[in-house]
Amino acid sequence: MASVHIQNARKTFGDSTVLHDVSVDMDDGSFVVLVGPSGCGKSTLLRMIAGLETISGGDISIGGKSVNRLAPKDRDIAMVFQSYALYPQMTVAQNMGFSLELIGAKKPEIATKVEHAAKILGLEPLLSRYPRQLSGGQRQRVAMGRAIVRDPKVFLFDEPLSNLDAKLRVQMRAEIKALQKRLGTTTIYVTHDQIEAMTMADKIVVMRDGKVEQIGAPLDLYDRPANTFVASFIGSPSMNFIEGVVANDGKTFFAGAEKLGIPIPLCPAQAVGKAVLLGVRPEHIVIDREAGVPAEVWVVEPTGAETHLVVSLGGAQVTCVLKERISLQEGQTVPLAFDASLCHFFDPQTTLRLV
Amino acid sequence: MADQVYQVVSARTASDPAEGFSWRGAWHAPLTQAWLLLGPAMLIYAVFALYPMVDTFVLSFQTWNGLTPHRGFAGLDNYAFIFNDDPVFWLALRNTVIWTFLAVSIPPLIGFGLALAVNQQIPGRNAMRAIFYLPVILAPIAVATMWKWMYDPFFGLFNQLLTSAGLQGLIKDWLGDRQVALYSVFGAYVWQHVGFSMVLFLAGLQGVNQTLVEAARIDGANRYQVFQHVTLPAMSTSITIVLVLSLIQSLKAFDIVYGMTLGGPAQSTQMLALWAFTQSMQIHDFGRGSAVAVVLLLITLAIVVPYMLWRMKREEGQG
Repeated sequence: MASVHIQNARKTFGDSTVLHDVSVDMDDGSFVVLVGPSGCGKSTLLRMIAGLETISGGDISIGGKSVNRLAPKDRDIAMVFQSYALYPQMTVAQNMGFSLELIGAKKPEIATKVEHAAKILGLEPLLSRYPRQLSGGQRQRVAMGRAIVRDPKVFLFDEPLSNLDAKLRVQMRAEIKALQKRLGTTTIYVTHDQIEAMTMADKIVVMRDGKVEQIGAPLDLYDRPANTFVASFIGSPSMNFIEGVVANDGKTFFAGAEKLGIPIPLCPAQAVGKAVLLGVRPEHIVIDREAGVPAEVWVVEPTGAETHLVVSLGGAQVTCVLKERISLQEGQTVPLAFDASLCHFFDPQTTLRLV
Repeated sequence: MADQVYQVVSARTASDPAEGFSWRGAWHAPLTQAWLLLGPAMLIYAVFALYPMVDTFVLSFQTWNGLTPHRGFAGLDNYAFIFNDDPVFWLALRNTVIWTFLAVSIPPLIGFGLALAVNQQIPGRNAMRAIFYLPVILAPIAVATMWKWMYDPFFGLFNQLLTSAGLQGLIKDWLGDRQVALYSVFGAYVWQHVGFSMVLFLAGLQGVNQTLVEAARIDGANRYQVFQHVTLPAMSTSITIVLVLSLIQSLKAFDIVYGMTLGGPAQSTQMLALWAFTQSMQIHDFGRGSAVAVVLLLITLAIVVPYMLWRMKREEGQG
């Protein structure tokens, strides 16, 4: 186990810079998720930590020791790849024991460690099979087993669940999380799926265009997103952003082109009397027949557990997730309200959170 | 009007097969299409490959001088002759075995090395790939002529180079010396064929999963171990293809030998394929020539078929 410190890490390919001075501190034994849209540099950062990409600038240290110039094998890390990367000509047991074989470990020792890892992951009946004889989930487990056998300081996961179906993904998500808690090994996990990030991480690093947008615990990012990007990326469906102006008394928000007045008892000082983006999560909107403001229903999507509505609120498109089953038709008007304490205010120019 | 006609035809095409036979439906049937596409190739294959093969087999049990219409039955006499009374056959067989052994080892090895080299990110690698492959597209007879000039004992390139380098002691009559002629011809063969192996290996190398290479590097493998545990297993199909094709090509080596030495001096470069040709076309004994050709075919099958079966079994075993 070891902490990982990334200090002003930079990566350039020719003239283009894909990572701009990224700094992240990862505590010993923590589960850190790097999340962001495709091309944000999260996999590149992971590969730099693994030693599969060179570091153009800055420093990466594992366990207090700079690893910038170390080969991947000397960094004491294990990596699980999206495509599993199992050696097709080797059995499950051989795949799992390969790294130990390379360092010249004795056969009984390899067998003991492989059996131990196989027991943890429920792979015992599959040890003599070849990768092609396994399902996607089983291959994923073998890839994890290969990592466990090495007993590394850091586990690196590069979108390991992307190739699995939705049901198996949920199951494996829980298994990886439980496994990490059990082993206590520092884990860095890359995904573009914010649900995975929210459910698994102790700490989330949100990235965009090679830069870190925000670092924090999952609920911190959900409750206090630093900008509109993080606000829209974390949470599903995405947060609604309503353009408008806050009245000079700070108690009313005039939404959209229609300047529909919405009462807001709690307004940050920076937002008073200014044009802002009001951020409201779909799950924080409710039907309130007494205090609600009228919204025209555009789309009704019943999902069983909830009802998703797309409405026009003062001319702005807003998505709502209602917990109750309601009978509504497109074109109807529905009175909507949201808890002002759960609203977010952003500067429309800088997209930063207003406090 | 045209639309109406089209609609009627479409309706009939899409209608239930119970309505009966339709020429249009039969024409579009997958089986008809398959036969139409395969037909010309199968016809050409039957006339120019299958028929001669069967006829050669039949001829090997007959006597025929290639001129008269009469073919006499010879039983196993042709085989008895080539095995018992034809010293050139055994010499040709020995040379073919040596040639084949060299041809399945040296050009693929050099080809593999070249493929590894031109698979790296080096400047001008595309030009190098083209240059190394160029000899493959030359006619073997042109290669033979070119190399014959280079091997010329008086004016040839090699002896000139050796003279210039002060190595007159190494000068030889490359194609006239019985001890070296076979290997001299083989030198030309290597020059022409390494590009073939290189291209097939290069295709294989480009199919190596880079994630596996990275996984192996993280697992602690050095360059050689990555090559051993990732590159080589991923290349197994390419290796099989190169070995089988090299084997078949080398067993039927004919044109380059014909062009350079005609099997001489003193049969020292004689090959089974060339001997089958010489027996038939120059000695006009098509029966014996065919018997040599059949022996060559059987040797080829005896090596290739078990090898292919072994490879298939091995690949199946891995899942």
